[in-house]
Amino acid sequence: MESLDPRVSRLNIDENASLSPKAPLDQFGTFEVFVQLKEGKQYKHEGAVHAPNRDMAFIFAKEQFSRRLMCSGLFVVDTRNVFVTEYTEDTVNVYEKVADNADAQGEAQEFEFFHLMKRGKQHEHIGSIEAQSAEQALVMAKSEFINSDKPIYNVWVVKTNDILFSSEEDKVIWNTLPEKKFRDAIAYKAADKVKAFKIRQHK
Amino acid sequence: MNQTALKELLYKIADDQLILGHRNSEWTGMGPLLEEDIAFSSMAQDKVGQSHAIYQILHEIGEGEPDQVAFMRNAEQFHNCQMVELPNGEYDFSLMRHFLYDTAEAIRFDMLTKSSYEPLALLAKKIQGELRYHTMHAKTWIKQLGTATEESKSRLQTSFNELFPYALGMFEQSPYENDIIADGIFPGEEALKEKWMARVEEIIGQTDLKMPEVSEAKLGGRKGEHTEYLQPLLDEMSEVFKIDPTADW
Repeated sequence: MESLDPRVSRLNIDENASLSPKAPLDQFGTFEVFVQLKEGKQYKHEGAVHAPNRDMAFIFAKEQFSRRLMCSGLFVVDTRNVFVTEYTEDTVNVYEKVADNADAQGEAQEFEFFHLMKRGKQHEHIGSIEAQSAEQALVMAKSEFINSDKPIYNVWVVKTNDILFSSEEDKVIWNTLPEKKFRDAIAYKAADKVKAFKIRQHK
Repeated sequence: MNQTALKELLYKIADDQLILGHRNSEWTGMGPLLEEDIAFSSMAQDKVGQSHAIYQILHEIGEGEPDQVAFMRNAEQFHNCQMVELPNGEYDFSLMRHFLYDTAEAIRFDMLTKSSYEPLALLAKKIQGELRYHTMHAKTWIKQLGTATEESKSRLQTSFNELFPYALGMFEQSPYENDIIADGIFPGEEALKEKWMARVEEIIGQTDLKMPEVSEAKLGGRKGEHTEYLQPLLDEMSEVFKIDPTADW
């Protein structure tokens, strides 16, 4: 096959070859990625990567979600290990839906809490609680957050042990990030066009 | 300080970074999965950036402009080891080369943080974080595929065996080896090779792979003797620059 891309031409792909489709469901599971922009700031959910395990998820997440601007820490957790509450809207605080008690057995462990304060935005890290289960952790957090000034629309609860955190000594991997301006889409000037579009919409 | 010796050292490091950076960038858009495509491309970009920084140091001590030096030399004027110019092959080959090369590169720059030649010591300190990620990436992949399936292990092992003599070629001695060491610029290729071997053995020891039989190193790259693969790479890399040296993209 002749292509404008010399890398494709070099592959000598036979155009008449019969291609067999990929087997379905052979993809990896997902891991949720949380990023800290600056030392002292809260970690925020950035997105997900596909990976076979936590270590691989970490190395993918680093370039997927912290290759521009700045970063001082990152962690990943298997999506299956994120306990998710229901979603609420308008003025309804999701903690109103949390029961007053929960069955719990076994040893107490640490759970991390993430709150969604605005629909469409990211979950932000709030803190951690020791409990015997995610359900029990939510019950314990209820009194603290039920009278929150702003409604909380959704909560993620994650066992701290299920999370792979960037180590202190690995934090140097983001050292030169502020100098990588060439990765920013500086030539793509959309702000003016967006502004003009908004003005047209309001007419 | 012996300027000829210093320049020889700088050229070989910069040329390694540029050529492997270019080779690895050939995977952009073709990586085995999206996340890896981005990670591998980013590291290729880091390498080209690091080569630029060293060409800049060379420029400050009397050599040509970085772009001229990168794009206008012929194969026999390049001092990279032959390993970095070999075609990408399949992903196992590129990954194994990335592991063997970046392990050495990280140790080399770690040694250079103590170099008596200050511009190089400063650069080495600055890029330590980038290199830490590169070796973390390489190590994680090698451990993953080196313990996964029969196919992944046998593919990696085959690539390892094939690359090993070329990897030894990274440590080809310079004619100025003694000056470089005496001036405190760099502790020398032999010292680097020893540390590299220990590190590679340590990581391979955590997989089901085996160290290849010791074989003769593929030498010559540092003296401008290259495989048939370097010149076509240079032609492709410099195509736009040669049509329009002022092009911007």
